[in-house]
Amino acid sequence: MNELVKQQWLIPLFPLVAAAIQSLLPRGQRKLSAGLSITAMTASCVLALRALFATFGTGSEHEVARAVWNFTWFRFGSTGLDLGFVLDPLTAGMAVMVTFVGLWIFVNATGYMAEDENFTRFFCFMSLFAAAMLGVVVANNLLLFFICWELVGLCSYLLIGFWYFKPSAAAAMKKAFITTRIGDVGFFLGILLLYWQTGTLNLYDHGHGALEQADALSKLAGWWVFSMAGLIALLLFFGAMGKSAQFPLHVWLPDAMEGPTPVSALIHAATMVAAGVFMVGRMFPLFTAGAAEGGSTPVLDFVMWIGCITAVLSATIAVAQFDIKRVLAYSTCSQLGYMVMGLGAGGLVAGQFHLLTHAFFKALLFLGAGCVIIGTHHEQDMRRMGGLRQVMPITFVCYVIGSLALAGFPLTAGFFSKDEVLLVTYHRSQWAWGLGTFAAFLTAFYMARQIFMVFFGRWRGGDDQKEQEQAHEGGHAHEHHEPHEVSWNMWLPLVVLSVFALFMGWLGTPWVGGNLFQRYLAPEEIAPGASSLVLWLSIGVGLLGIVLGWVIYGRKTMEHATEPDPLATMLGGLFTLLNRKWYIDELYEATIIRFTATCGVFFRLVDKLVVDGILHAIAWTAWALSQIARWAGDEFLINGGFETSCESVRIGGKAFAKLQSGRVQNYFRVLTLGAAILLLVYFFA
Amino acid sequence: MDTAFWIISAVTVIGAVLAMTLRNLVHCVLALVLFFFGIAAHYFLLHADFLGAVQILLYVGAVAVLILFAIMLTRHVTGTEGQREVLGGKWWAGMGTAVIIAGLLWAVIRRDQLAALLPTGAAKTSVAEIGQVLVTRWVVPFEAMGVLLTAALIGAVVIALEEFIRRR
Amino acid sequence: MNVPLSYYLMLSAFLFAIGLCGALSRKNAILVLMGIEIMFNAGILNLVAFWRYKLFATPSAQLFAIFAIAIAAAESAIGLALVIAIYRQYKSVDVDEITSLKG
Repeated sequence: MNELVKQQWLIPLFPLVAAAIQSLLPRGQRKLSAGLSITAMTASCVLALRALFATFGTGSEHEVARAVWNFTWFRFGSTGLDLGFVLDPLTAGMAVMVTFVGLWIFVNATGYMAEDENFTRFFCFMSLFAAAMLGVVVANNLLLFFICWELVGLCSYLLIGFWYFKPSAAAAMKKAFITTRIGDVGFFLGILLLYWQTGTLNLYDHGHGALEQADALSKLAGWWVFSMAGLIALLLFFGAMGKSAQFPLHVWLPDAMEGPTPVSALIHAATMVAAGVFMVGRMFPLFTAGAAEGGSTPVLDFVMWIGCITAVLSATIAVAQFDIKRVLAYSTCSQLGYMVMGLGAGGLVAGQFHLLTHAFFKALLFLGAGCVIIGTHHEQDMRRMGGLRQVMPITFVCYVIGSLALAGFPLTAGFFSKDEVLLVTYHRSQWAWGLGTFAAFLTAFYMARQIFMVFFGRWRGGDDQKEQEQAHEGGHAHEHHEPHEVSWNMWLPLVVLSVFALFMGWLGTPWVGGNLFQRYLAPEEIAPGASSLVLWLSIGVGLLGIVLGWVIYGRKTMEHATEPDPLATMLGGLFTLLNRKWYIDELYEATIIRFTATCGVFFRLVDKLVVDGILHAIAWTAWALSQIARWAGDEFLINGGFETSCESVRIGGKAFAKLQSGRVQNYFRVLTLGAAILLLVYFFA
Repeated sequence: MDTAFWIISAVTVIGAVLAMTLRNLVHCVLALVLFFFGIAAHYFLLHADFLGAVQILLYVGAVAVLILFAIMLTRHVTGTEGQREVLGGKWWAGMGTAVIIAGLLWAVIRRDQLAALLPTGAAKTSVAEIGQVLVTRWVVPFEAMGVLLTAALIGAVVIALEEFIRRR
Repeated sequence: MNVPLSYYLMLSAFLFAIGLCGALSRKNAILVLMGIEIMFNAGILNLVAFWRYKLFATPSAQLFAIFAIAIAAAESAIGLALVIAIYRQYKSVDVDEITSLKG
């Protein structure tokens, strides 16, 4: 494994090279571009699998298998900057997940983007993103981590605003970047603080690494109730709050649905948003350092509650959305909250397990939504869908599997991972567990709502159009607007991911190999004691949610696209509140954004008056000096001098010309004068 | 014998002054003749007899007559010769210069020792001696003089005759 | 006579100056030529005076004076011929009017 870690850098290298080549490709080279991306991801997947297999069986009972390789990037004086790569179960598992899911998303994207003219640019950015994400995963050094973290954010920006000519997309890309940037400020401060306190940016360094000094850091005082380790962890968590869309920085994730659906699948479901959770997992020693009885630290409690609030808040909003991708976006937000809650409750294994399973079934759901969108000719409003299960059977089956996994239906992957999270939370805080269970109920409910709205009932897509056409009595063929199943390169990834969504969960259960995943990932952690209350309650709320969804939406499906939502009629104003996202965006707009805009106006004024004023003054002074120089030097001296000398020559010439009078007697007189002078000189000088 | 010198000098100077200041052109020529005679008298006084004779022959006999002829040939049609203005433009410049030269020469002569010389012996030279030396020692300048005079003669004729030839 | 040489030199200088004054100031071209003749004679007088006071034994100086007189005569002949020719062209012998070589 020690030799293999030196080749870890190859895993992000293949997509990076692919991106570099694709950036130079002309627009028409579609097959080559897609082929490069898929080949690169396959190669990285193979390497990641090799690394994964290398980590099996090398760990011990209490020590996780880990190999690092650090090297100096450049020196300045006696210090330098290092970079490093790590190979341990966390990294290997994430690398395999990212490359595998990414691979199938790329395959789906060849179908989704088939009609778009910026095909090559899309795959270039996607490859670059994959490279950056894999860089985040394999990094052992906070500098490399941060570089790739920012690159991931950049690619997210580029891909959200892929259709930059749409004003909504342009606004969304800016919102995403700026919101995550706010979190990144805290992240960077955390890095600086860590470097200051430990003197190194390497995470693991044979005992000298930053994480290895976490216990020492926890003895130092930090701020308020947080120890130094806790303070650093808190600052780092701000970065995770931004990247993983936790409350209050969650506002960018729903808007990020402006990007193409494969982008939403890869970046905003499976990988980038999971980077924040991964980061918490990677830095977990800092979070748990100095733990009291029961294993909690102030920062972990903070993390848990943030995750809990996010989970519940997002789930409530998802219930009242009409855009198919928005529902999934808020669902992602909510599930990320689950992961963060699990981590905050001290369950590294639970959080990471849920991350891995969520990646698969959320990617599956997003790809399914993408298939639905393509199949209905770019329709995204659920009220105008319906009855698609007859027309798109494969998509329907896979989507149902994904939804069941998300809802935590027994025996799916999501069931096991969510149960782990709730279990761990139960042992830490019952209030949080209660809220988490409520969120699970909502999750099941809104997924059922979505399925019944989209796939059952009658096709409502042509409702508005049919009325218009009847009014005009015109007719283009109706078949053009009817939904249809998608091509094989779009439903094949769905099938593959469905398999994983169904069976992957068995890795984490006690009945297969005895908590295989937990022993693999964090052998030093104590498995939470099983609780049948948690188990049966989570099964119960999941089924309750599905049944309620059928009662409201399935028993009597929507007849017409313009009908009001049945839930809206039941809840009234509450539904509007949820639909408008608790008006959080409006709150931000009225306060922070308005304040920033005012500052901007103020500073613009300062710029215009003061800075420009000084500039204009300097320019005017230079101009005035130049005018003086021109007048004095050029006009007066050079031109004037020249003209004066020419004039004097002319006058002198005219005077001398008078000597040539043509009169001989005058010549004689001059001659005599000259003779007199000569005599004078000769005789007297 | 100093008085002879003074009288002859006075005559010469008066002749020169009159020649240069009279209004009537012919009167000027006559004064010039007086001047020439005065110079000839000085030559005699200086025991240069042959030279004095030549002076009278040549200058008075030839040059003065020539000048008279020239005056006659260039008389203004109206008959008034040089009556309107005697002196040319800016005459004072020339006069001043001449005065300066005179002053310079006088200053030089005054201070030079050479000038206090007195005449030496009284040996006279005869014309025969002059002739003798003319054709032996100074024969080349003599012949050259002949050529020069011939050239001058031809030249004068050519210049004065120009229009005559062209008219033909 | 016992006149020192300087008297003759001063006389000749005086005559030269008179001739020069006239040559430079008179309007008529012929009078200018006459002034030149006066200058010539003054110079030759100077020459003869020097012969008498220094080189009395040799006759060569007289010859010098004879040559000078001859040349002066030739020159005045040419000069007067020129004046006649000019008179024919310009119908005037006024030196102030003959300015066709004016620069």
